[in-house]
Amino acid sequence: MDPLFLAYSYFRRRKYEQCVELCSQLLDKNPYDQAAWSLKTRALTEQVYIDEVDVDEEGIAELIMDDNSIAQVARPGTSLKVPGTGQGAPSQGVRPMSQSGRPLTGFVRPGTQSTRPGTMEQAIRTPRTAHTARPVTSASGRYVRLGTASMLSSPDGPFINLARLNMPKYSARPNLAKSLFEYIFHHENDVRNALDLASGATEACQFQDWWWKVQLGKCYYRLGMYRDAEKQFKSALKQQDMVDTYLYLCKVYVRLDQPLTAVEVYKQGLQRFIGEASLLTGIARVYEGMNDMSNTVQFYKDVLHQDNMSIEAIACIGTHYFYTDQPEIALKFYRRLLQMGVYNTELFNNLGLCCFYAQQYDMTLTCFERALSLASDDNMSDVWYNIGHVALGIGDLTLAYQSFRLALASNNDHAEAYNNLGVLEMKKGRLEMSRAFFQAAFNLAPHMYEPHYNFASMSDKVGDLQSSFNAARRASDAFSDHMDSKQLLSSLRKHFAML
Amino acid sequence: DDKWLEAHYDPVSSLYTFTQCITMSDINADGDHKLIIADLGTGSYDMKLKVYKGTSLMTENAIIDLPTGVVTFYMDTNEPHTPAIAVASGPFIYVYKNLRPYFKFTLPTLSVNPVEQDLWDQVKEDRIDVMSLREMLDGLRCEGATLTVRSMRFLQLQSHDLEPFASLHKHAPLKRQTVITCLATMKKSMAEEDAISCLILGTESSHIYVLDPEAFTVLATMDLPSVPVFMSVSGLFDVEFRIVVACRNGGIYNFKRGVKEGKTVFELNSQPVGLERLGKNIIVGCMDRTLQCYTSKGKKLWSVAVPADITTIQMMDHQQKGFKAILVALANSEVHIYRDKYLCNVMKTPDVITGMKFGRFGREEASLIMTTKGGGLVIRILKRTAKFEEKDISAGPPSSQNQKLNVPKKTKLFVDQTMRERENAVSMHRQFQHDLYRLRLETARNYVKALDRSMNPISTNPQEPLKLAAQVQGLGPIFKLTVNLQNTSMTVPSLDLIITFQYDNTLYKFNKSIIQTPMLVPGLNYSFEALVECLSDKGISDTVKVFVLKKNRSVPIIAAIINMPISEAMVVV
Repeated sequence: MDPLFLAYSYFRRRKYEQCVELCSQLLDKNPYDQAAWSLKTRALTEQVYIDEVDVDEEGIAELIMDDNSIAQVARPGTSLKVPGTGQGAPSQGVRPMSQSGRPLTGFVRPGTQSTRPGTMEQAIRTPRTAHTARPVTSASGRYVRLGTASMLSSPDGPFINLARLNMPKYSARPNLAKSLFEYIFHHENDVRNALDLASGATEACQFQDWWWKVQLGKCYYRLGMYRDAEKQFKSALKQQDMVDTYLYLCKVYVRLDQPLTAVEVYKQGLQRFIGEASLLTGIARVYEGMNDMSNTVQFYKDVLHQDNMSIEAIACIGTHYFYTDQPEIALKFYRRLLQMGVYNTELFNNLGLCCFYAQQYDMTLTCFERALSLASDDNMSDVWYNIGHVALGIGDLTLAYQSFRLALASNNDHAEAYNNLGVLEMKKGRLEMSRAFFQAAFNLAPHMYEPHYNFASMSDKVGDLQSSFNAARRASDAFSDHMDSKQLLSSLRKHFAML
Repeated sequence: DDKWLEAHYDPVSSLYTFTQCITMSDINADGDHKLIIADLGTGSYDMKLKVYKGTSLMTENAIIDLPTGVVTFYMDTNEPHTPAIAVASGPFIYVYKNLRPYFKFTLPTLSVNPVEQDLWDQVKEDRIDVMSLREMLDGLRCEGATLTVRSMRFLQLQSHDLEPFASLHKHAPLKRQTVITCLATMKKSMAEEDAISCLILGTESSHIYVLDPEAFTVLATMDLPSVPVFMSVSGLFDVEFRIVVACRNGGIYNFKRGVKEGKTVFELNSQPVGLERLGKNIIVGCMDRTLQCYTSKGKKLWSVAVPADITTIQMMDHQQKGFKAILVALANSEVHIYRDKYLCNVMKTPDVITGMKFGRFGREEASLIMTTKGGGLVIRILKRTAKFEEKDISAGPPSSQNQKLNVPKKTKLFVDQTMRERENAVSMHRQFQHDLYRLRLETARNYVKALDRSMNPISTNPQEPLKLAAQVQGLGPIFKLTVNLQNTSMTVPSLDLIITFQYDNTLYKFNKSIIQTPMLVPGLNYSFEALVECLSDKGISDTVKVFVLKKNRSVPIIAAIINMPISEAMVVV
């Protein structure tokens, strides 16, 4: 069989390793074989390719040194930095908040973990649920790490030496330039050279090819030049309507902290591509970022109308129902996920909780057992923590205590477990111990109001009014509508003002 | 705002002053009332007496010490009939006439403690060295004697500064002076607007002095049990008068003509932040966010709670309309106007108001001068058409009472599930109990396993009650590992502890493999740091275990597992 034909066949069957090997052999025989060269670049690219639309992790440099922000104090509901007051969402007392002041999401995506830290210390601290540090900038970090796999596998140096590449020559050849660009961008992660190539190529085709404009926009986005990226994407959209281009453009607006414009652009896209699920998902994500839960759920439901297998939409709607006091409906959504073949710890954990709160007691503990047996080191602590909650619910304090301790044994940064242990110790009357637990909890997670308030009320009881006042202040900073903290504060104020 | 005209707002007029240091007066006798402000400057220097004509600064005079009050008063009947300005500052009253310094009045000195006098006399004759002088003075102070400023300063000094200080000051006569805390005026014998007035001073030594305006001699002295902070004066000195004084102990005292000791009217249950008198009623703003009203006999009439801390209060006396009210400035940048106990207007201000004065300014009868916390100056004029409602605007039930609670409806699904629960109650219960026993067993097994491996950040050993928390910070390749150790017992300190780490030495390098801890005092949080370097650039990570060990024991007391983050590759910039 013709080796090139075989290589193509391997490529189509996604057997990239064999394809690369065959191409290398062909290139050894004839180094100027353009077809083999082009196929090899494509195969290498495909090996490490991830969808550029979804990869979006803000690095520390982007977060702390954000030079694109215009208004530091934006009006609520117009910015992702100042999450709105939460329309249609239950309060923080019911649905816990993440560090950024947003409710916990039902579906972990890049960027939902903890965006916009307040201080440098929070930025460099590793978040509890994401076991990786934040990348320094989006120009390195994740992207380089994804590229390292291929670096390991090529012992005799890289396939193409970018420094010696004659960019103008290649940019004038449209048949080679596109695959070469993708190789440079995705495989080598060399955004600067990719930008050189793309700008040359777009000039060579007299700015008529929308594809190059999108690639230019991607490069500008990576380099943090959002306004230039916006220009390229808009110009590309004038030539050719593409779903991808709309998604990239909205990514730019989200990064520029203009969520309302992003929603507007998504809706324009929806007029061209009616019922496109990725656009609908995008709108729902933006609304979730703005704390607008009623719109979020509405759009996730629209997504399900178009694509009833969307895991993200099902999980997010399920979470919403769980926290709005309808666990029986949440249970239906999670069961749907199970039917679709999702089979992991998190799902069984959620099923167990839904069963417990919907009073289907015969299935509760079986779900947790299943969750425990599937759990890895990462999520074991969360399962134990939830078992502890069930134990609290049935009043078995010993089991609760042991479960919380086990949650800490598998992850010693579990602030929620520390807080609950503190409450249990306070019930037992061991105040020193519970004070230590509360301190540990609020040092680990200063965004949680519960340990602050518990510490305040305990200090109030033992007569340490100064610490009580300070802790109550922190609690009401973390959750400004918390009535108990407010009452404690006002009674302390009265006490301090009295002669 | 339909009641006030915004006449002027300068957010950067760099004024640092309070209600007591603001006054308005026709100091040139040309019918144009000037604004006179004693500016506290930075609080330690740059104190100034500023006079504004309209909104522009007319003159500035430097003041040596912090001003505590400013008033204007007529001291004679000469033509042109211009009032003088009196500024209280330290132990002095500076009197300005035609904006030029005219007279300086010094408070009468107080008697010096004879022992202290004797000590400084000995210093003058070099019969005592400075160290023993300090010891003796310190002894005196501990006995509760009030010392002079010189001795107090001497006691504050470092030992090498004592000798120069003593030799510099020993020849000057020893005086004990007090400082003025509040200042007011009272008409002497006639009630006309431009009649001659006396000055009333309250001092830190708990006295009240009445000064003669022409000779500047003390006409009367009155005693108080505590330091006066606010005064309200009415009447004529030669006929009959009332001085109501609020003191630092929270008591309100009343003086009549011819009385030497103040009579207690009432005692507050919180510190006063302002005192005004409306007719026969005394109105006090308190630190506990209340505005309280008492009769002059001391009977409490009403008390209203205000939404934020009160910064200052001021009387609003609009004579043309016969309207009297109390302006209350709050820490939430609002000014509330209370007529009796009814809130009749709320004014928003750009910043927190610290000083305000209502009265005639320029040619405008009803102006309100306000200074802000950030150093701004706000001038507002009451509209001539403004009418204040008698009624309380905050009356009626709160609006939240009409809101419906968002209680989710029970779904049909829920009802169906309840039915299932009702029909199969016994089997569900059995299943649950069965699972529960199994879960308890499983949990207990895991718990024992964790205890056996000491894989627990909290110790279960009652002899060594410890809590461990470890954190990783940084991006890599070098991370900082912070170990927080806390002794959670009530009384027993922990001794001889060692922190050590277990890790893959091909992947990580620690700058110290062992940390010896000092004695851990109960209840305190000790943090220890170690630097970890990731040796691999392959983007892999591993766990690191932290152990706390006790000498002569093979099993660690507590341990923690840390999931190290993936190290960032070196960024070449």
